Amino acid sequence: MQDEESLVRRAQKHDQEAFAQIYEEYFDRIYRYITFKIGDAVEAEDLTQQVFLNTLRSISSFKWRGKPFSAWLYRIAHNQVVDYLRKKKKTVVPLEENLASGSDNPQQAAERKLDIEQVLAAARHLTDAQREVISLRFTSELSIAQVAEVMGKSQGAVKALQHSGIVALRRALSVTQNEG
Amino acid sequence: MKDKEFNNILNECLERLLVKGESLEQCLQSYPEQAAELKPLLETALAAREASAIQPRPDFRARARYQFQSALKETAAGKGRTSWGWFPRWATVMAIVLVLVLGGGGTVFAADSSMPDSPLYSVKLATEQVRLTLTPSQMGKARLCAELVDRRVGEIAYMANKGDVQQVEMLTRRLDDKLDLLVVLVGGEEAASAPGMLMAPPPEEAAAPTVPPTTEDAALPPALAPSPDKGWGGGDSARNGNRAQLKNTLASDAASNRAVLRAVLDEAPESAKGALRRALAVSEDGYEEALEALEQS
Repeated sequence: MQDEESLVRRAQKHDQEAFAQIYEEYFDRIYRYITFKIGDAVEAEDLTQQVFLNTLRSISSFKWRGKPFSAWLYRIAHNQVVDYLRKKKKTVVPLEENLASGSDNPQQAAERKLDIEQVLAAARHLTDAQREVISLRFTSELSIAQVAEVMGKSQGAVKALQHSGIVALRRALSVTQNEG
Repeated sequence: MKDKEFNNILNECLERLLVKGESLEQCLQSYPEQAAELKPLLETALAAREASAIQPRPDFRARARYQFQSALKETAAGKGRTSWGWFPRWATVMAIVLVLVLGGGGTVFAADSSMPDSPLYSVKLATEQVRLTLTPSQMGKARLCAELVDRRVGEIAYMANKGDVQQVEMLTRRLDDKLDLLVVLVGGEEAASAPGMLMAPPPEEAAAPTVPPTTEDAALPPALAPSPDKGWGGGDSARNGNRAQLKNTLASDAASNRAVLRAVLDEAPESAKGALRRALAVSEDGYEEALEALEQS
């Protein structure tokens, strides 16, 4: 993606091409982030769409203050998730057949689905902060610095959460695999 | 200090694995003393990333992109939007004038029966929002909301018969929003606390990065927001009577709307069936939640 600051400034002036580039750049990552956070790939679709509509409506309020645009965008996604969970009082549920994988092979798809379910089930055992870090790092592929900006924490704190989150995830995965 | 050092090493290995595409063995060779501790953690991180690498469904991606582009074009075209959400400014102004000044004239009447493919449909939605705002009691709002749910179902049936899948999906989201509002209203919470529906966001949300409300039901001017002391109205006896009446209405609406949507589903073009099944599920779940909320309130 071209220089993000100039792209965002163009988008703030309703440059359709610039906004479309931002959309394409972040759409899948925001979708994965939300799916991991709420554990429901279908519900994540509407929330993802809403995040981008909200972004479109509010981008003019974004100010460059040394923080990356992605931090602001993920903050919108985070607020959307919080609002959704508060509204639905929903806990993580297994993914259903609407989940798409990168493969058309039914067996591979089934194995992948199982893996996703295991990961999501295991993620329930993480603290909110650990789940946020794991989600931003491994589903949205943000750097430690970006995650620190999104969460408003130091990079050292994020690294520590990353460590403890992976340890907790591994422990939870071994439990769910043994139960399975 | 040791922990901090290990956290740094772990992070460096993750960067090399996930970003630079190096192998696990290469990373472990760089840190032989920590290899035993690093290996299971890196394997877990890799597995988590691989498992989470899901993609949106192609049909959803296409629909979302279309809707986003439409919204983008509308914004770029300079069609003014008010704090009332996505209603065009002219529709909002017209609705307020017609409802407040004229008390509902021919245009409101015509708009009231308009369908989503009509130019007057924006007036209809804006008028509904004005009516919801101006309805004083929570019971009144709940009844009106139930009526609006009915309308959305009728509109879904109409657009499904025309084979307009995108409109059916859009209307289903509106149906879902109205049912959510209904649940909040019948659940005994103050309407003003319905998340993002009838009032401006609370201060703590306003202080966060600006995230506008999620639907056309969003953010009314505080002056028009419902007064918090207007509840179900009347004493206990009247309240119970109202609740029983509303319960009957909702149970009856749930059954009739289910029947309508099922009948439409049977006759609808194949292309609209998926969207209609979703609408049916949204309708059934929403009514069920509303009836449960009413029972527990």
